[in-house]
Amino acid sequence: MDYVRKDVYSSVKIIFRIFILRSKGSIGVINELLLQVAQYLEAQEYSQMLVSGYYSWNWLEATHVLTLMISIGSLFIIDFRMLGWVLPDVSATAIADRLHKPMIIGFAIMFITGILLVYAKPVENVQSLWFRIKMILLVLAFINAWVFNSRMREADGTWDSALVAPKPLRTGAIISLCLWCGVVAMGRFIPYDWVDCPKVSNTALLWASGCVEQLNAL
Amino acid sequence: MLSNFLSNYRSVTSLAFIVLAAVLVEFFEVRASIYPSLLPFFEWLKYSSWIGYLGITYGSVYATVQAGHLIAMAIIGGTVLVTDLRLLGVLLKDIPSESITKGTHQCFKYGLSVAIATGIFCAAGVADKVYYMPVFWIKMLALLAGSGFMFFIKQPLLNSRPHSEIGPWTLRLLAVASIFIWFTVAATGRWIGFS
Repeated sequence: MDYVRKDVYSSVKIIFRIFILRSKGSIGVINELLLQVAQYLEAQEYSQMLVSGYYSWNWLEATHVLTLMISIGSLFIIDFRMLGWVLPDVSATAIADRLHKPMIIGFAIMFITGILLVYAKPVENVQSLWFRIKMILLVLAFINAWVFNSRMREADGTWDSALVAPKPLRTGAIISLCLWCGVVAMGRFIPYDWVDCPKVSNTALLWASGCVEQLNAL
Repeated sequence: MLSNFLSNYRSVTSLAFIVLAAVLVEFFEVRASIYPSLLPFFEWLKYSSWIGYLGITYGSVYATVQAGHLIAMAIIGGTVLVTDLRLLGVLLKDIPSESITKGTHQCFKYGLSVAIATGIFCAAGVADKVYYMPVFWIKMLALLAGSGFMFFIKQPLLNSRPHSEIGPWTLRLLAVASIFIWFTVAATGRWIGFS
């Protein structure tokens, strides 16, 4: 049994290596292009001003984190209502409708401050595994939000005053909660240097983080 | 008459006594004399307690708990904003504010419990640093004020009678004070990371 397991493991490893070598052409080019754009941005005066100014960086980061209480706070209330954890005697669609505006305002502020934070440290972010996972989770969260909204509009409304929403909406709410918790966690991990390019020797991690120089040196 | 007043406004008078005691403690420099005696506790928290050990040894655990702290803050923020913006008449105007206040309070309590538990873990990992930070003590004071305000003034008052019988300016003041206190808690917490 152990032999089989070892064989499967080494086969997967070989397939992954082939995939990485093959993708060197396409994803490798994308990684190099991203790095070049990041290096160009980092050389700009405004980027350096943002990162070197004590108050500019701190204000940006603090605003980005504190706005989480408006955007993700509102989103959690909507998701919790779908699951029947809060406001049980208030219509679920009313909560979703009325909290939509503050949530969007919060996300807009987070988006703007987030772009400025990336602009301040572009090379560090482009080569951060956590930042890349965060971006993937963000895309998935927005797709989930879109599906969730269309399902809510399609629902006939008979469940509106019920304690919990129908199963598809509950599933959407749980997925949303998991994805946003993931986004927050990945955002929190970005400043840590556990998997920064110079510290990693694993090919898969180097590939996933987009460590162009280290991959070329292999 | 005094006993009648005290029984009617028990929560408010208790909180007023607590604030008065805090002012007296500051005035007679009791805090200044207690402060040095707290240092051994903070050193124990970092170097001898298991949460301090976990925080120092495993960076990934520390970062994960920090993320949990942020998520708890988001839950607190969501419940506080929904309740207070309703009291201010900005959000959910067509839904009775009594339903909003009652329906979010349980969630707020869970959020606060998680925020306190994860906050103790986060502080333990850097206890010898935060001890010397004024912003950390401001946050602790704001947290105490926020919890006291929520459990001894805001909730008892809002649950005591229909909101239509409470003065509109009292409701607005409650909401503004609540938003201000919890924003201070969150902002000072963020500033600890920069100090």
